[in-house]
Amino acid sequence: MDGLPTCQAINLSLPAELFPSGWQTALARAPRIVLKPLPVQNPPPATINVPLRQPAIRTFGFTFPELPAADLGVLDTQPKRPSQRAAVEEKSNNAKRTTRIKPPQDIIKLQDRLYYVLQPPLEALTGELRFPFQPFPYQLEGIAFLFPRHAAILADEMGLGKTMQAITAIRLLLHARELRRVLLICPKPLVTNWKREFQLWAPEIPVGVIEGNQARRNWQWQQPATPVLLANYELLVRDYQIAVNEGLHFDLVLLDEAQRIKNRHSATSQVTRSIRRTRSWALTGTPVENSPEDLVGIFEFLSPGHLSSNMKARRMGLAARDYILRRRKEEVLTDLPPKMFRDAELDLTPEQWISYREAEEHGVVRLTQMGDELTIQHVFELVLRLKQICNFDPAEGSSSKLERLRADLEEVIASGQKAIVFSQWVDSLKRIRTALQPLPVLEYHGKIPARKRDQVIDQFRDDPSCHLMLMSYGAGSVGLNLQFCRYVFLFDRWWNPAVEDQAINRAHRIGASGPVTVTRMMTINTIEEHIDQVLQEKRELFETIFSVAGTPASAGLNQDEIFGLFNLRMPPRKPRSAA
Amino acid sequence: MPSTRKPNSVPSVGFLTVVDSGGGSFLGGYLVLNASGRPLEFQCTAPVKANRAQEILYGPTLHPYLWGEQIGGALISKSRTRPLFVCTDQSHTLAVRAAVDLPVIQVLPAAKPSGGAPPKHNITATSSAEPAERLTLGRYSCALSGSHLTDRATVERAWKTHLDDLHLREPFERIREAITEAQRTAAGPASGAAA
Repeated sequence: MDGLPTCQAINLSLPAELFPSGWQTALARAPRIVLKPLPVQNPPPATINVPLRQPAIRTFGFTFPELPAADLGVLDTQPKRPSQRAAVEEKSNNAKRTTRIKPPQDIIKLQDRLYYVLQPPLEALTGELRFPFQPFPYQLEGIAFLFPRHAAILADEMGLGKTMQAITAIRLLLHARELRRVLLICPKPLVTNWKREFQLWAPEIPVGVIEGNQARRNWQWQQPATPVLLANYELLVRDYQIAVNEGLHFDLVLLDEAQRIKNRHSATSQVTRSIRRTRSWALTGTPVENSPEDLVGIFEFLSPGHLSSNMKARRMGLAARDYILRRRKEEVLTDLPPKMFRDAELDLTPEQWISYREAEEHGVVRLTQMGDELTIQHVFELVLRLKQICNFDPAEGSSSKLERLRADLEEVIASGQKAIVFSQWVDSLKRIRTALQPLPVLEYHGKIPARKRDQVIDQFRDDPSCHLMLMSYGAGSVGLNLQFCRYVFLFDRWWNPAVEDQAINRAHRIGASGPVTVTRMMTINTIEEHIDQVLQEKRELFETIFSVAGTPASAGLNQDEIFGLFNLRMPPRKPRSAA
Repeated sequence: MPSTRKPNSVPSVGFLTVVDSGGGSFLGGYLVLNASGRPLEFQCTAPVKANRAQEILYGPTLHPYLWGEQIGGALISKSRTRPLFVCTDQSHTLAVRAAVDLPVIQVLPAAKPSGGAPPKHNITATSSAEPAERLTLGRYSCALSGSHLTDRATVERAWKTHLDDLHLREPFERIREAITEAQRTAAGPASGAAA
């Protein structure tokens, strides 16, 4: 047993004694269990009532007139051409440019504002109509501008299609039954042009022309079934009593070349303002020809009292802003062929110089001697006299301008192009014609009977042997489309650059076949150069003043400036004798 | 301008959408157009806001409830014109179908012009519990409530008969502009002038 531990027994029984506590017996006794009900004292758990009431929803709503798809047979009810429909869909689908009608600020009622806001884009509205060609986006904006307005001036630069925009806006409003009777007033030479444009852009709309003898005109004025009546300013003044008759009301009166009413005291202005009407629109490329007062005159027709003569220029611009839409070619027609100016600064011929100096010296001396008797007419006569000498020498007939014109025309004719020559005087035009013989030359001026003028334009456009047309500013500066012409010559300068611009834009407009070259002829060191400087300064001044409203920068000469051409001062006005 | 037009005299379609007006509020707009797309009626709500309890308890179904059943339901019930069907551009608003007795479709966004597969739109009608059905109207992809499949035939018939030249997406822009105009007008002339 080596190596094993040895075991030893130990007694672990320890002595224990019970103490007499008295519990031992109790421990041996079976416990007695007594059940006793105890009520729960705590309150039930709290609950919160969360109301889920339906939200109170307040609504407001408007209903609008129900427009039939085809009204009076004027809508194009034929199925749309696939290309047309595709174009409209394409625009909408690709979220391309859409033109929306926006209510002007002078529409106050929400319902009326929403009526315009909720109209479909113009692309969709015009998609229902047929057009000879798709309007430009800026033209759609012009239509959207006119559509909701009760007073508006569309003052786009010449050649941007004011006529088309006005016709399309009228067309849409006639279809929408917002118009039923329209009176369109324009200068007499433009009546046929407007008629032609309506046939082109709104062939379904009947147009009546106020013309003929008094009895016939009386009858024409009273024809309620003709949606569009066309009248010229001269006839309107003659038919004053009928036009302002209480029973005669027009939904729209549209004035073309609205600068005709810039003088609010003129008979034309007073008659147009007296015609009962709901809407008043004005078209003009030159809302400000000479001074901001011109704009006040036009607004007397649109919204009497909205502008006043004593307004500061900036305030006037802000007040007029919502009523005027004015775009320039360079802003909207980026793909229009360029218009290039050449200033032909010429020296007078020796004969012209002799005549000019003599007339100037005598004239100025005479004006100075007149003292307080001097009037603007006297100064004006001298200016005209000197300007005429700058065109042609009165004695010998020599002309540095004619020499230059002859040289330039050779180039024009050789290239097969056409040219227009503008002058202030019919006499100068006739001298040019005589000097250019045997070249076939057409004339378009106040001495050409109105009935023959369209024929002249047609011949100029269609006859390849006719390269030259002589036009007066007065007859040829507005409303004519001569975009087939690539050359314009300003043989003498008009008093107002705006009128010159209008003349130039007969050729430089939509559809122009190529660049238009404008040659401005001016004899140096003469009254022509002096006038040009004054007008240039004034143009810059107006550009500053009217930048707020976007109105055009164009201004002619006022009385002070005409006196200033000869360093003369305007004599103080004589007090009027009591009547 | 305002008229006393006799309702339901021409085929028309309703366009319903809801815009967020900020601060958890929503504005509903409902425009009824004739077949040429010209407005016949416009209804608009004042701002509507869910309370906190609704936000919590409705959970993901809050927008279908608020936009569709409440706002959409109120607008359509106030309208005097009964259209052939109602279009919406929002999946939540499609839930209005439960509140009105008119076919309702959701006009889905246009596919990207670059081609390829059309985008995966959320065409869930109310919540994930109710899937929507696809529908094609002309060049428009649409969805309708899975609970109202019989609407399909009604809508397709109306489309072919009266409306196949109607634009189905553009009118929602008009509603949004009208709501903005209404808010601007309500805010006062000064804000309108500044616009």
